[in-house]
Amino acid sequence: MKDIAEQEVIDLDDMDVEAFNDFATEQGWSDGMPLYVPTEAKVAKFVDTVRGDNRPYPPVPPRQIVPTLQALAANAVMAGCKPEYFPVVTAALRGVLDHDYNLHGTLATTHSCAPMVMVSGPIRHELRINCGSNCFGQGWQANATIGRALGLMLLNVAGAKPGEMDRSTQGNPAKFTFCFGENEEENPWTPYHVQRGFAPTDSVVTVMSGEGPHNLNDHGSTSGDGLLTTFAGGMATPGANTIYGKGPMFVIIGPEHAATLKRDGFTIESIRQELYARSRVHVSRISAENQDTYISTGHKPDGDWFTIARAPEDIHITVAGGPGKHSAFIPSFGGTTVACTRIAR
Amino acid sequence: MRIINPTFGLAAAGGAKVALKPVNWATDAIALVSNSKPNARELLSGIRDKLGAFRGIDNIEFLSKNSASQPAPKDLLQEVAAKYRGALLAIAD
Repeated sequence: MKDIAEQEVIDLDDMDVEAFNDFATEQGWSDGMPLYVPTEAKVAKFVDTVRGDNRPYPPVPPRQIVPTLQALAANAVMAGCKPEYFPVVTAALRGVLDHDYNLHGTLATTHSCAPMVMVSGPIRHELRINCGSNCFGQGWQANATIGRALGLMLLNVAGAKPGEMDRSTQGNPAKFTFCFGENEEENPWTPYHVQRGFAPTDSVVTVMSGEGPHNLNDHGSTSGDGLLTTFAGGMATPGANTIYGKGPMFVIIGPEHAATLKRDGFTIESIRQELYARSRVHVSRISAENQDTYISTGHKPDGDWFTIARAPEDIHITVAGGPGKHSAFIPSFGGTTVACTRIAR
Repeated sequence: MRIINPTFGLAAAGGAKVALKPVNWATDAIALVSNSKPNARELLSGIRDKLGAFRGIDNIEFLSKNSASQPAPKDLLQEVAAKYRGALLAIAD
């Protein structure tokens, strides 16, 4: 008999869900939350949804195995996905497998990063992905389980076991799940996937290895300029990886803030320029020892200021959320990229 | 009941094992490779000093990745393979 790790199909005695969860936990398959049972029949339904994507998968680092669709689907089943969510999950996986995403580094790091999954295009409505109020939060099956399925794949296929290959010092609740939709309907500019060259009718998954959202509260500013002062102040954090790791970041603007910025004539490009110029950290806010570390790794201050990004293009802008005067800053791991994948249908 | 193993995968092609030749730590060229985090270089310097107590250290050299967050670039790996018989990696901090 083969060892369980070498078998694609495993014969088990009939057991209830609780017993299966005990078994799965013993195997190291669980993120700590209850799992659905990945029966052959359920997995087959998921696999049937991705017939439009026949490209083989590359080896998945750090474990460097080539996953089968059945194994990937088993993770989506365990996460509680509906079958129709599976093409979104596989597109997200293809995104994190982009070479420049640096999957090995983002999984093995002591940083707290988790894969941020953002969905754009018509599929948001077909799958009821929350793009509005509480879009980063609980209450929506698609958001909760798509992000979770990717996390389980990284655990079970990539091998990112916490405390072993995943060496994160403190982790991050977003490692359980971090998936939301763009609020394209209240975006006064161009939807993110269209900014990246996709058609508005395409459905696209965007991934970035990021921290959880940092809130940018501004109830007082009535001008776009005032809002950008608040955003830049919130972004200028000495503890962010991007201050010396350098890499992309997202500013997810709430619809009310977006309307104010649009009214005052700001474009995505001008917002990027302004935030790049203003979100700098004065050397007085960084210890001398830490400045030495930044400089020794090639990141010198611009005068008395450390920039939070390499260039305005590192600051990615879109709109999500519902009513209220809040936006969010999501810094990345640093040595990573923002990868977009069209969902095969 | 029959379930699908969520960890299952196939071995990647081209993963042939390389036969390692023995290293003579008393004389061979050795690469001391830093992961570019703080104190990695200091750790390696300590090792080089210790080695200097019983062998020559002219052929023990320091190398480093470009960034702590990025994999070692191919040219660095090729340099290590071509010039050295042994390599020690410091994972700091």
